Parts: sequence; C-alpha cells; structure tokens
Amino acid sequence: MPTADVLIVGGGPAGCVAAWEAAAAGASHVLLIERDRAIGAPVRCAEGVGSEGLREFLNPDGAPWVARKITKVIFWAPDDTEVVLRSRDVGYVLDRTRFEPALADRAAQAGAEIRIGTEAVRMERANGAWRVELRGPKGDETWTAKVVIGADGVETMVGRWAGLDTRVASRNMESCAQYVVGNIEFDPDAIYLHFGPSVAPGGYAWIFPKGVGVANVGLGVVALRSDGRNARQYLDDYLAKHFPHGTVTGLTVGGVISGVTVKHTVADGVMLAGDAAHMINPLSGGGIVNAMKAGRLAGRHAARAVRAGDTSAASLQAYHDEWMDLLGSSHLLYYKLKETINKFDDDFLNRLAATVRGIPLEKRTLGRVMASALAHHPSLLPLAAKLFVQELL
Amino acid sequence: MPHPTTARRIAIVDSVVCDACGLCMPLCPPEAIHMTRRGLEVEAETCTGCEKCIAPCPVGALEMVDADR
Repeated sequence: MPTADVLIVGGGPAGCVAAWEAAAAGASHVLLIERDRAIGAPVRCAEGVGSEGLREFLNPDGAPWVARKITKVIFWAPDDTEVVLRSRDVGYVLDRTRFEPALADRAAQAGAEIRIGTEAVRMERANGAWRVELRGPKGDETWTAKVVIGADGVETMVGRWAGLDTRVASRNMESCAQYVVGNIEFDPDAIYLHFGPSVAPGGYAWIFPKGVGVANVGLGVVALRSDGRNARQYLDDYLAKHFPHGTVTGLTVGGVISGVTVKHTVADGVMLAGDAAHMINPLSGGGIVNAMKAGRLAGRHAARAVRAGDTSAASLQAYHDEWMDLLGSSHLLYYKLKETINKFDDDFLNRLAATVRGIPLEKRTLGRVMASALAHHPSLLPLAAKLFVQELL
Repeated sequence: MPHPTTARRIAIVDSVVCDACGLCMPLCPPEAIHMTRRGLEVEAETCTGCEKCIAPCPVGALEMVDADR
C-alpha cells in the first residue's frame, strides 16, 4: 500500500501552500490531490486579494497571474452615492486559472507530488494513521497517510470523516452569484463594494476589474434576509439596473462562509485549513490570503509532527492555536462588526455616505469613515475601540 | 449515524439546475447531502425535512417533495 507522510485533499490556495510548506520543511512524501481536472479551474471566486498578504507568498509584480492591479476602493451606498477611499497599494484581482498552478508549481519544486482528477472517497483510522481511498483516472487506490490536511473547501468531507463538526448556520452562509461582464464602463483601477439590504441583504455586491471594460460582477446574500429571490435572481436584477448593456461571458455560484473558525480544526492525524475550516474573513468575505496563511501553518506543523513521531490531536493543536493567534481571534471581532453593519438600513447607509463625502478625499481614511458611523450610532463605540487597537487593515 | 427519516417531505436536487457548488452541504444538520460523480444528491432516508438547504441555493436547485414519491 502506498504511503504518504502528508496527504493534502484539495488543490486550492490552502492545499497548494500546505503541500509547498510540508515538502520544504522536509516531509518525505507529500501528496496533493485535486478532484477537478485542473488546478485553479473552474474559478469559483471573485479573485480579489490584499497586496500585503499576497506578497508573503508570491511576487505579483509583472506576474502572468495578475489580472488587474487595484489602487482604490469605492463604496456605493444603496442610492448609488459613491464614496472613494484613499488609495494605497490596495491589492490585485487575480487570474486564478494561472495563480493556483503557480502555487502548485512551487509545491512540486519543493518535492510534493500532485495528482489532478483525483478525489478522496473514504477515510478511516488504522494503526495510528489514516487509510484513505482515492479515486482517480486510473481507478481506485488506497493510501496510508500519517497526516491528512483537509483543504477541501466549503463542501469539505475530511472534517466529517475525522469526526469534526464543520456545519454552517444559515445566518453565516453568503449565497453568491457572479458574472464575468464585458463592454461596461467603470474605473479599472478600483474595486467597488455596493451595500444595502435592497442591493444584497446580509452581504454586498462587488465589481472587481479583470481588465479595462471587463469585470467580475457579483453579490452575496444571506437567504434568511432575502425577499424570496435567490442569489442569481438578485444578480440578474442588479445587472439589469446597473449594466443593462453589458455582455455576460461567464457565471459562477457558490457559498462563502461568513462565520468564525470552526471550534476544532484538529483531530488525530488531521488538520483543516482554509474554507473547510471556515477561515474566511467574516467582514470582507475574502479567503485566499487566509487560506494560504493557514496552509503554511498546516504544512509546517504536519512536517514537524511526522518528524517528531507524534501526529496526535494534542501534538497538532499547536496549529490551531497558532492560527487563532494569527487571525482567528481577529475574526471574532470582525464577525461582530459584520453583524452590526447588517443592521444598518438603506437610509442609514445613504446618510453615512453623504456624511463621508463631506470629508476631503485626501483625509478620507477608513478611520474617518468609522468616526462618521460612530457619530450616527454611538452604540458602535466599544466595538470601534477594540477594532482600532487590533488594526482592521 | 443516519437513521431512517420520519419526514413527510424531503429535499431533492434538480441536477439540470444544480452547479455542484456544494453550498448546501455544510448547511444540512444531519449531513444528508453528498457530492457524487453524478453531482449533488440528498440521501432520502437521512433528510429530516428541515428545509435549511432550500432558500440558500444560489440557483434554486433544491426543492421539497413528498417523502413517499
């Protein structure tokens, strides 16, 4: 029976970085499996990443997997009042069909084996290791793995097989739909975020440029707050109103988990990373950088545990603790902020936008926007105080 | 451990509309929804008829039907 030190289920950002780091840290047989026939495709994502987090892993300057460099964030209130936030080195919109393979290439250079078109169909504990049944293009094969990293996304099964609870409460699931839309006009250096219960209840609509005149246009809604329309119907109505002459060349739908990290990301010989562990930023819905950071931790801890001959939950708990220190604890705060923002009605958001526009552009930082919000909603004060201590961005 | 359901109505997936995004899977309290080579399927004997999967589907691919259908 073939054996792996570390078996990683899922070839997304979390899985690819986990494989890269585990191999680089000296794990002797690292296998990464991806169910789909390609790493990075199909794209089920808005593809936006912050610059700082991205640069911890790959250099975007001149990279073929960058679709667009972003220097501005534009918030739209429900009545379409536009508020531009001061520019910095904000981030990038990626071409994930090229980004993920670039990560996978790094993993392979470090020594990991990568198999596409291969899924895990069953997993059971035996003799202090995991027996994992893989189904691939050439049939079924059972592997023994000392550590399994579940980087298998919102539809994760690794957690279930290991006895971990990865269920999501309805109020924490953003139902998302996104079109690739061409022949439309917008500032190609900006990402747009459009808020309001009439636009996207419980979430927001976004325009993330892929190039001049073409963008990922999508939105996320919480079904509990919907007026009966599903995400795609909200998106069709949004497009009819804002981009009636746009050309739709692609559709993707999916779930973005807006809760906090699952209570237990670790079991004997198992770690969960990325969307599978609910590590998406509850406020922004951004998950790529979090997935990579968690993947890095998981890969390193997997190699350490295998080398030490102790892959027990107790040994791997250090992964969970390190994640919580790094970002998981901040997510608890962002979650509360998200829940508070969800209570704002269209009228409040419109008034907030109007107030912020009264601040000169060069002085319009996130801090001042928050201050305006506080002036209207003093109950936000304790939350805002914690936020500035911990630094939102 | 799944046990036979006593639900009178259960969820089913319209495989023509379903995009197999998997959003419904973690929403299901008894974990009755599985991803197969044929797409997403609801295990009829495990579904409790709670309807938590219906509204969140981004494309409305899930619906409730009589259990004895």
